[in-house]
Amino acid sequence: MSNWRQMMPTTEAYLLDKALYELHHKPDDLAAYNEDKAAYLARFRLTPELAEKISSNDVAGLYEAGVNPYLLRAHCIGMRIPEDVSLAALRSLMKEGDDKWLN
Amino acid sequence: MAELTGIYTASHTPVMLNFPDRIPAELRTEIFGAYEAMGRDFEAGRPDALVVLSNDHLHNFFLDNFPALCIGVGESYESPIEHWLKAKRRVFTGDQAFGAYLLQEALKADFDPAFSMEMVLDHGSLTPLELAGLDPDLPIVPILFNCVQPPMPTMRRCYQFGKFLGEAIRRYDGAERVAILATGGISHDIATPRMGMVNREFDETLLQLMEAGDPEAVVKYATDEVHTAGNGAEEIRMWMAAMGAAGGLPFKRAYYKAVNDWYTGIGIGHFGRNSLPAVETVNG
Repeated sequence: MSNWRQMMPTTEAYLLDKALYELHHKPDDLAAYNEDKAAYLARFRLTPELAEKISSNDVAGLYEAGVNPYLLRAHCIGMRIPEDVSLAALRSLMKEGDDKWLN
Repeated sequence: MAELTGIYTASHTPVMLNFPDRIPAELRTEIFGAYEAMGRDFEAGRPDALVVLSNDHLHNFFLDNFPALCIGVGESYESPIEHWLKAKRRVFTGDQAFGAYLLQEALKADFDPAFSMEMVLDHGSLTPLELAGLDPDLPIVPILFNCVQPPMPTMRRCYQFGKFLGEAIRRYDGAERVAILATGGISHDIATPRMGMVNREFDETLLQLMEAGDPEAVVKYATDEVHTAGNGAEEIRMWMAAMGAAGGLPFKRAYYKAVNDWYTGIGIGHFGRNSLPAVETVNG
């Protein structure tokens, strides 16, 4: 597999990135998001489907949508998604040969 | 004329601080001991300043404006920026004059770095400094490479920048002794299906090539094979820069262990006439 889903991000991936970036960097944004996820995500030009990927902690879906992996990782830790849950979601997307170095 | 007291390479991962208990205590002690050994060697060189080569993990920079390379010219640097990182908040002293010198010399040498007078340092810089127990008051110049969002500078370009950097530091009159710490790598995946599967074959080959002292072969291998070693392995750009700065000084690894439960191939090495003392490993 490639190290990257997209060698140049799509606008959809950029908007997802922007939401995750602002959520974890701007003062008060995390509190606003936790207060009302839909209202917070409406600040960005996300389609309902993309917004849902964030609000439902769809780690695999966000990966497939091309979210920057470092923003995705920070979001998983920042939202306290259990390590084993986020890891299992990502590994559900493994293809043949991806597990060469599992052990 | 400044003396380069040591050029060190060391992995970084926030997992070391956030989830240390995911690996056995014996292994954790061994790894932390390897960082401390690097720190003791570093301090033996009594550097006046430290150049930290690292990468920003999308904290200072975002996709609206992302430099390939950025030299810090700040008075100070707060760290860490991550609200979720389990680390003590601290402020590093910036060596503003040294940063300004390197920036201006880089432009004269036909490199085009961005600069920042107000950066924050994330776990990439903080973790190895913290674990090595380095003097928090030692003035630093951070230089951040884009390793986290394609398109990125080539491995060759990073090596060439490192060559410039080593020469510029040696010409600098403002400090007597300078150390370089290059952090990042080696094999690891962040938030991909391969996360937690360290490509130890890539790491071993890379380390062997570096120890063989053939920069061209190292750059070619890094360029051609990094895609097999994970998005986190893109951080070996800083190791390429360190190799350039070393200007032919031999490289020797002090420690390596593929640590799947910390998601990272943990490598520590050193360019110099003397080797760091090798660290004994749990499983030989």
